[in-house]
Amino acid sequence: MVFFLRRLTFYLAAFLVAATFNFLLPRLMPGDPVSMMFAQAGSTLSPEAMDALRATFGFVEGPLFMQYLAYLKSVFTWDLGMSVFFYPQPVNEVLGRAALWTLFLVGTSTILSFAIGSLLGIFAAWHRGGRFDSFFSPLALVMQSIPAVVLSILALFVFGFWLGWFPIGRAYDLELDPAFTWAYISSVLYHAALPLGTLILVQVGGFLVTIRNNMINLLGEDYITMGRAKGLEDRSVMFRYGARNALLPSVTSLAMAFGFVIAGALITEVVFNYPGLGKILFDGINARDYPLIQGQLLLITLATLTANFIADLLYVVLDPRLRRS
Amino acid sequence: MSVIFSVIKGNWKAQIGLGIVSLFLIMALAAPLLSPYEPQRRVGMPHQPPSSEHWLGTTRMGHDVFTQLVHGTRTSLAVGFGAGLIVAALGTLIGISAGYFGGKIDEVLTFFTNVVLVIPNLPLLLVLAAFIGQASPWVIMIIIGFTSWSWGARVIRAQTMALREREFVVASELIGEPKWRIMFVELLPNLISIVGINFIGSVIYAVLTEATIEFLGLGDPTSVSWGIQLYNAQNSAALYVGAWWEIMAPCLAIGLLGAGLALLNFAVDEMANPRLRTFQVSKKMKRLMLQPNRVKEVQA
Repeated sequence: MVFFLRRLTFYLAAFLVAATFNFLLPRLMPGDPVSMMFAQAGSTLSPEAMDALRATFGFVEGPLFMQYLAYLKSVFTWDLGMSVFFYPQPVNEVLGRAALWTLFLVGTSTILSFAIGSLLGIFAAWHRGGRFDSFFSPLALVMQSIPAVVLSILALFVFGFWLGWFPIGRAYDLELDPAFTWAYISSVLYHAALPLGTLILVQVGGFLVTIRNNMINLLGEDYITMGRAKGLEDRSVMFRYGARNALLPSVTSLAMAFGFVIAGALITEVVFNYPGLGKILFDGINARDYPLIQGQLLLITLATLTANFIADLLYVVLDPRLRRS
Repeated sequence: MSVIFSVIKGNWKAQIGLGIVSLFLIMALAAPLLSPYEPQRRVGMPHQPPSSEHWLGTTRMGHDVFTQLVHGTRTSLAVGFGAGLIVAALGTLIGISAGYFGGKIDEVLTFFTNVVLVIPNLPLLLVLAAFIGQASPWVIMIIIGFTSWSWGARVIRAQTMALREREFVVASELIGEPKWRIMFVELLPNLISIVGINFIGSVIYAVLTEATIEFLGLGDPTSVSWGIQLYNAQNSAALYVGAWWEIMAPCLAIGLLGAGLALLNFAVDEMANPRLRTFQVSKKMKRLMLQPNRVKEVQA
């Protein structure tokens, strides 16, 4: 319990740092922060909306500390202000709508690549030095270093334009209405195939290499030899003795990689014109929509911290040593 | 030095990695000799396919893609290695300090490191770059350097703590060596492989992240770099009008450089951790050792 309280305090502090960053940055830039942040907004926003926006970002009368408190208040009540580009929609609403698509991409691709990468990694470690290992492990590492932007563009070019197998934009066929029908779901899956495939390729290498290296180090341990000496089958030594322990660090890296995965998803969405956070952000950046850009930092930080907290919980379930202490 | 050569000799990953990285280094150094054109000058008709005159075709603006690519190599390598140096230096300094001093200093530094580690990097960089305005490659290099050191610091701290109680450190303390000397003369050489891996990893990360930031439209569109090439190609809808060369060239360059550096990193990792070194001979030995029942088969 103490452990969880300490973790929660830590995550709260981390979130506070991100919020403080948002607060200080416009004030540290040369020039007037208000006119800089809302330069694009002048012509589109009504005077009342401008005042509301100023209040949200803590541009109130008073010393810096009072401004900070005012900003924190709007952050913790999750009032992220109005989007300038998508005026008159609040940032909250714009991001929320897009976040669903991103969550779908990130969630599905992470689960699939964790499963595929771990299985391949266990197999590679078991037959380390063999043909599969010597080819796929370096390949996985190389794949890991090829950025999402390059893979996405390559996939879009080859499968979207050249072969024409998959659609080159949007999340579903515009003729269909979102509904729980086979036509709609299959259209969503068809449109998600390329972005999902790219994201899986980006992630799978990392899981493969992590678990392979953990597993190789573990296979030298005495209890593995013991398991063999007892005459256990290869498979149960591989999965119950080796993999179970080798998976532990992967859970941590799963949570830590979450930020990278979201980053990858943002890029992939821009390339595939997929209506998730990345696409919204791209439009927001080009319009210099600061409330939107700052809002996405808070939202993604919150999502990453939540993922880390869930990983903490999972760790306790998976590792009995932690449960006792 | 001879050790390094002998390892490279027997390691195909090191050879290919080194080959690719050297190729890009030569390209960067010899950029003006490799191409007769200026990177930012209109030298042909817009969107010309690759030909003997324009090896990789032209952009919508009529710029020569090959010229931009070789000049962009300079930017990418400089940003990559520059940011990599900052990341490795900061990570090493913070990691060794936290691991060696322990106590309150460690607590503060570790807390700080973990906070930076857990805040997602790219969204943070996007906010920074957005406020800076059109960020030049140098600005991007600096902001990447100062936001991405946390992973290295964490790993180096853990390794320092493992080394801290060893005899040679205790002995140096007893002789009365100054703390900075213990940290950088006694401890650092023992951490050199981790620092090296961290450095190469950071170079990869910096090259990719620079391209990503510029691709998203936060770079300075007048600079010459692979990310800006991608941004311009995306903006002029190069793929949609069939000008695949404009977007494929920087794409493949980024992918190839990343792959080369990754192979190099893999090789350094194997040098440092012999367990990961999997030669064919030792494989047979290990199998014999790990599977006692097989010994009988071989003997029979």
